[in-house]
Amino acid sequence: MNGNPSTSTAPLEVRNVSKLFGDFRAVDDVSFSLPAGSIYGFLGPNGAGKTTTIRMILEIIKPTTGSITVLGESSALKVRHRIGYLPEEKGLYKKMQCWAVIAYFATLKGLSRKVAKQRAFELLERYGLKDFATKPTDALSKGMGQKVQVLASLAHDPEFVILDEPFSGLDPVNQQVMEDIIRDMAKRGRTVLFSTHVMQHAERLCDRILLMAKGRKIFDGTLAEAQRTIPRRVRIETEDDIAPLRALSAVVSILDRSSRREEAHSISTEESQSLLMSAATGSMGRESRHWELELRENADPQAILQTCFARGIRLHSFNQSDPTLHEVFMRLVGPDAKEATFR
Amino acid sequence: MKYIYLIAWREYSENARTKGFWLGLLLVPFIIFLSIQVPVWLQKKGTPTRYYVLADQSGSLAPVIEVRLDREHQKQVLADLGEYARKHLAGTNSAQLPSLDQFISHGGEAVYLEKIQPHLKTDAPPFKSPRREFHPVPLPGGVQENADITNLTGTLRPYLRGEKTIEVNGQWVSLSAAILIPTDIEKQIVRPNQKPARTPTGIEYWSGNLADTKLRDEVEQAVGAEIRRREYLIRGLDAVAIREVEQTYVPIASLNPKKEAGQEAVNRTDVIRQWAPSAFVYLLWVSIFAIAQMLLTNIIEEKSNRIIEVLLSSVTPGELMMGKLMGIGAVGLTMVFSWILALVSILTWKTGNSTEVTGQMLTVLKSSNLIPMFSVYFLFGFVMYAALILALGSVCNTLKEAQSYMGVIMMLMMVPMFTMTFIPKDPNGVLARVLSWIPIYTPFIMMNRIMADPPWFDLIGTTILLLVTAAGALWMAGKIFRIGILRTGQPPRLLEMLRWLKR
Repeated sequence: MNGNPSTSTAPLEVRNVSKLFGDFRAVDDVSFSLPAGSIYGFLGPNGAGKTTTIRMILEIIKPTTGSITVLGESSALKVRHRIGYLPEEKGLYKKMQCWAVIAYFATLKGLSRKVAKQRAFELLERYGLKDFATKPTDALSKGMGQKVQVLASLAHDPEFVILDEPFSGLDPVNQQVMEDIIRDMAKRGRTVLFSTHVMQHAERLCDRILLMAKGRKIFDGTLAEAQRTIPRRVRIETEDDIAPLRALSAVVSILDRSSRREEAHSISTEESQSLLMSAATGSMGRESRHWELELRENADPQAILQTCFARGIRLHSFNQSDPTLHEVFMRLVGPDAKEATFR
Repeated sequence: MKYIYLIAWREYSENARTKGFWLGLLLVPFIIFLSIQVPVWLQKKGTPTRYYVLADQSGSLAPVIEVRLDREHQKQVLADLGEYARKHLAGTNSAQLPSLDQFISHGGEAVYLEKIQPHLKTDAPPFKSPRREFHPVPLPGGVQENADITNLTGTLRPYLRGEKTIEVNGQWVSLSAAILIPTDIEKQIVRPNQKPARTPTGIEYWSGNLADTKLRDEVEQAVGAEIRRREYLIRGLDAVAIREVEQTYVPIASLNPKKEAGQEAVNRTDVIRQWAPSAFVYLLWVSIFAIAQMLLTNIIEEKSNRIIEVLLSSVTPGELMMGKLMGIGAVGLTMVFSWILALVSILTWKTGNSTEVTGQMLTVLKSSNLIPMFSVYFLFGFVMYAALILALGSVCNTLKEAQSYMGVIMMLMMVPMFTMTFIPKDPNGVLARVLSWIPIYTPFIMMNRIMADPPWFDLIGTTILLLVTAAGALWMAGKIFRIGILRTGQPPRLLEMLRWLKR
């Protein structure tokens, strides 16, 4: 029943889609397309229009204008067997047994009752819920319940999966399990679109990122492309005069960050390639200062280091890092997110 | 269609697994059974023997009362003997019951039993004569019958209150009543056109049990008859002649012109036939309302825990709605028809001969179109109300919110309940006909009229209107459901919903 996953056409194409609720423009002229077999991160602050876009993709609601092609069809209903969906707000039938819930949703996706039942037990066993298979779902903890729901949305082995906030409410261990599930699907050529608020998940998992705010598309591209949207920075700590660095063509500006030592410190401990140099100890008397150097695009941070050596600037620390997705997010939607209207 | 079936099947099997379903399924037959069986039990064992004392200071009324009470007892004995004979007489022998007077004068139970003995089946158990309902006991506490009335009541009071008990045949029993007839009872007789010297106290009937007046009534009637008999004698009237006159009457027969010639006589079956529809209206109302509630709870629950979104990524709102409608409708059908089945089987099981009420009810059920018409009206009525409920459920977020709207629907639904008892009295009258043409009342009112041969125009016309309304309600519900189901926040205003219909 599953078509060839390595189909050349994009699993999803959204073209100039807008959605109005009364006068409120929930989604405003959004276009994007998903390459087959990719993991696509769908980011944006609350009220950005992510869930509305997802609902339109699934044809739960219809766009006001624009068109959507899912797995080559203009209507998601025609290919509903090949799509998996985990909604943002999770819920299960409380009195139904775990296996029965999974099997029920799988039969609604076209599996025969027998196969669905077999698949349900397989999945529950694989994800450590074997003992709960015949328990009603209200006997489960929140995290376990969510796992069951994820399994229910994937039991028919869909080639295109949409997960709305799959990580919310999960503990770190189960977040890891969720990440593994997503990676595993991508490995088998499935296409995954997931929305999240947690940038680290997107950073670790996504091939591409779509950023939305206030119903509009802000950014669409790879992670590297996203990082390139804000300038690279190098942070150094020294007690020597840094005037020679100002003359470098790679450096756009230099900021004195000494007064905000703590912030600088917290950034330097983030996941990034940091290079800590144990510099000379003869720093008595003069105060060590923190500097932040903003670099020109495509500039090599190593050039800064070489200049420092050549000009005898003794470094206590040298910290060169790519901007995190968090920084990208804050910069691109920061002001918008604060004023985002909640519906 | 496959998805509608899948959803319907889940709704059905999940509901069928709940305790409430089984409780509803079994409780009603149980109640039907009890309502038939309990009166029988009560008659046999329920009322305990009541012990009474009779102090007749006038010395002339006690035998009259005792004869009367004994006659009542003999009546019960005779009825029981009849039942016994019907059950245990062998072959074609049918019991010819004597009249009560014959029975008593010919020697009662013992003689009758001797007479039927040779015709009984070999395995017939011995006859158990019924217990006496009222049993006289001698005056307790050493008090004499001719003692002062105040003295008497003073002695009897603790017995009547249950503080003291009396020994009867080795058993300690409590006294339930005392009948005190004063010496001058003759002087206390009240006659028309004659002013009594003082307000007469008459016979004193003492009893703590105010609800059971049977003994009091018996005493009153026995004494009344005796006083009147004496009065005839005093006035020189022929008591026997008067008694005969009193028993003279002309029979009056109720005839039904709608029945075939020669069979117009109205019997109890006909009365049942006329009132049976009301019972079905009630059943219809209860079942439609119960299932509508079930549907509302179901849709709100699914909406509030957001399962609906996953479902809608797999099925269309139309399929979801139809699935729910059919699944829960099937739950209701199962319940209602198991009730009817239980009713028919209990009636069949409990019916010995066809003259009993249960037998007549069974005859009515089997010979009429009550059950088929009930099915039709249940189906259409359910679809119509279910559509309203689904539309309502889809725009509300909490049960509380929905309940307030449900109140309005409830109020509208109450009308057939009020008219239920009027309709059979004038089943083809203006009120009945007008209400029949209002679709939300059609199932109930037509069900109420069904045994009175409503005009074909009404029968077919209202059904078509009902069908069209049900289909319209379903279409409208589908539209509202589609948009309302994913809605959160305030329920929409009516105007807004009307706009949805246009989409």
